[in-house]
Amino acid sequence: MYRYDALDREFLTDRSNEFRHQVARRLSGELTEDQFKPLRLMNGLYLQLHAYMLRVAVPYGSLNARQVRRLAWIARTYDKGYGHMTTRQNIQFHWIKLRDVPDILDALAEVDLHAMQTSGNCIRNVTADPYAGATAEEVDDPRVWSEAIRQWSTLHPEFSYLPRKFKFAVTAAKTDRAAVKVHDVGLILHRAPDGALGFEVIVGGGQGRTPYVGPTIKQHLPASRLMSYLEAVLRVYNRHGRRDNIYKARIKILVAALGAEEFARQVEAEWAQIDSPSADLPDTELARIRAAFTPMAFETLPARSETFELAKGVSSSLARFARNNVKPHKQPGYAIVEVSLKAIGQTPGDATADQMDLIADLAERYSLDDVRVTHAQNLVLPHVKLDDLPAVHAALAQAGLATANIDLASDIIACPGLDYCALANARAIPIAQDIAAKFADPDHAERVGELKIKISGCINACGHHHVGHIGILGVDKKGEEFYQLSLGGSGAEDASLGKILGPALPADKVADAIDTLVEAYLKVRDGDERFLDTYRRVGLEPFKEAVYAHADQA
Amino acid sequence: MKALTANRLSDGDVVFWNAGQWVERFGDAQLFDDDQAEAAEAALAAGKAQPLAAVDVYLIDVAPVEGGLAPVSYRERIRALGPTNEPTHGKQAEGGAVVEALRHASGAARSTGRVDLIRRK
Amino acid sequence: MPTLIRLENGQARWAENSFVSVVDEDAVPAGDVIVSLKRFLAEGEALLTNSRRVGVRIEADEAVEDLAYDLPRLAVVAVAFPKYRDGRAYSSARLLRQRLGFKGEIRAVGDVLQEQAGFMVRCGFDAFEPADGATPEVWSKAASRFRHVYQRGADARPPAYEERGA
Repeated sequence: MYRYDALDREFLTDRSNEFRHQVARRLSGELTEDQFKPLRLMNGLYLQLHAYMLRVAVPYGSLNARQVRRLAWIARTYDKGYGHMTTRQNIQFHWIKLRDVPDILDALAEVDLHAMQTSGNCIRNVTADPYAGATAEEVDDPRVWSEAIRQWSTLHPEFSYLPRKFKFAVTAAKTDRAAVKVHDVGLILHRAPDGALGFEVIVGGGQGRTPYVGPTIKQHLPASRLMSYLEAVLRVYNRHGRRDNIYKARIKILVAALGAEEFARQVEAEWAQIDSPSADLPDTELARIRAAFTPMAFETLPARSETFELAKGVSSSLARFARNNVKPHKQPGYAIVEVSLKAIGQTPGDATADQMDLIADLAERYSLDDVRVTHAQNLVLPHVKLDDLPAVHAALAQAGLATANIDLASDIIACPGLDYCALANARAIPIAQDIAAKFADPDHAERVGELKIKISGCINACGHHHVGHIGILGVDKKGEEFYQLSLGGSGAEDASLGKILGPALPADKVADAIDTLVEAYLKVRDGDERFLDTYRRVGLEPFKEAVYAHADQA
Repeated sequence: MKALTANRLSDGDVVFWNAGQWVERFGDAQLFDDDQAEAAEAALAAGKAQPLAAVDVYLIDVAPVEGGLAPVSYRERIRALGPTNEPTHGKQAEGGAVVEALRHASGAARSTGRVDLIRRK
Repeated sequence: MPTLIRLENGQARWAENSFVSVVDEDAVPAGDVIVSLKRFLAEGEALLTNSRRVGVRIEADEAVEDLAYDLPRLAVVAVAFPKYRDGRAYSSARLLRQRLGFKGEIRAVGDVLQEQAGFMVRCGFDAFEPADGATPEVWSKAASRFRHVYQRGADARPPAYEERGA
């Protein structure tokens, strides 16, 4: 993974000192809350319902064991012993005291971590395929480009006060695990027919109040011109994005208002005026970053592990784990292991300090010191030898981390919702727990198959409900928690936005409704068709009828 | 009835106003009857005049419920208790009659369909 | 007491402000003036006499390109921050310096706070009317808090990738 050099470290020290100074000025009254708020937000510090919340950046979801241990230590020392993984592949702590934050930032900086730009109207943490460097599908390593974007966007002098927040996602695989089509900018690395490396550039996707699947504004951007092109995109947005209405300030609104073609034309016109040699990264720097990601000490192993095959034959739980949580690796004899943070009854995305320590140990011992956070709020050990899978599975199982439900109905994305978040209208976590309980029987969950349920506690859509196969949006209906269901969304390569099923349901009817939807699906499913594909084939009506007819009888 | 609430600047903890001071328990909050609107407004102004003590100062509606009093909105009940997914986190950890009343408060101001705040098993 | 900070050779100092900012409703007095873009486009030729220097105030929603051909005749371009969170002025300043080659003073006016000093300097601002009472010492410190920068701006600072290569 990328290793900080002295320069990167000095930068973090300076940033940490700056924020320490700002906190002191706030506590002494030199800064008002209005002046301080944007400063703390740019350091990932929110004031939530019960305490401050610190969101730590995990660039493109990538951590090493030492960093994971430090996060566990912070959870124990300054929080209530756990951390929460977010849909931006970050980790956030929910019980932070303002006066501790300068010390926490120092502790993070010691392991090359920070909380910069995890909030505020700036370029946020860059997300990427969590299988980067491990999947055989990719044409190049998206982390190289994500790191380049991370550095370029860090305290960018021109683009730190944008009309609104700005999110990048990068993938290099056909299977989209980074939701690139619902980001402000989504980048898909590919090779042109002549072999040249480049990006398909998607701009103006997004969720929130006004969701869009983003249009492609450039089919093939030569990879070496990435930074100048992004500068052009950001400059057009910074100058022309709306600033009069917070709900219309995202770049998606500008792109939609101008039309993708006109927006693309404006970007091209701006790009033509940017001096490439001064704006684009020199090849030497790209090579330096690339070098940090290439050397992985993979062993030469047979593609099939007798140890693993034998163990699977004996242990049905390992076999189930293998079916659902173990994914193919590019290197023969290795596998990508998904660690579910969605045990039945658990808060989706939470990991305790002890669990984090265990993950750090396993990463060191079995996964080449590499851990990933996924946007689905799970963790990944990306480079595990097949021979080691039984041991890894056993260790995970001991810590309650071996739930074999990746992409199944109980692998639910949920934002913190009204249990923590100052913006939420309704709770998301208890709804997720209720639904997961319906799929507690793992045979049932596997029979149902891939089903991505995503829950947001408000229209800001941190829980990605617009792109859930089943999306659930919490709303406040005359002071009551109600939940609006939508079907048919996808954040993957077949991206689409869900359609609202019908009137919102009260909290205690949601899990039953999901059950009903699944039963309706199983009745009309064709072969092993996914829920999403059945929905796309038969449409909304049968589902609508099932849920609302059922509600009438109740 | 109203009470005045805010978050403490130094640690973000939920606090309630009582006679010129911020206190941590909802049960210790000063209550302003409906005919004390002026006193409530005066407390609001006084609370806002302490920007180094607390931020986000605002009045909330409070109503009688079985076993005591509770904020009318469930958002405020969660603030007074702690998160419902972690019954040992936040103010609810210490238990007691006030906490129980808050937990079981349902539909203080509105009568239909409200779900209890306690964790549903 | 002066309220203008000017950056000269990397040092922030108090500076005399010889310019009078004139709102559109008022008559233009004698001496150095800063007028709106609209007024400059209408009356610029008459204002530009040998006896005074002229500056133009650019609002956040105005395009600096409209001044392109007049820049050599201007002493100051005052770029306005209606709110400090409004980041359009950064693009305006950077384009003035880098793309349009403006050599005169680029002055930050409006909601100008020390927290923004670093970004402003990097985008080409060299004069500041702080709204928070910041002194040149404070301003210098805020502007030079970071020993390294990660990207090229309108200033001369080498980005990290050049420092690494050096």
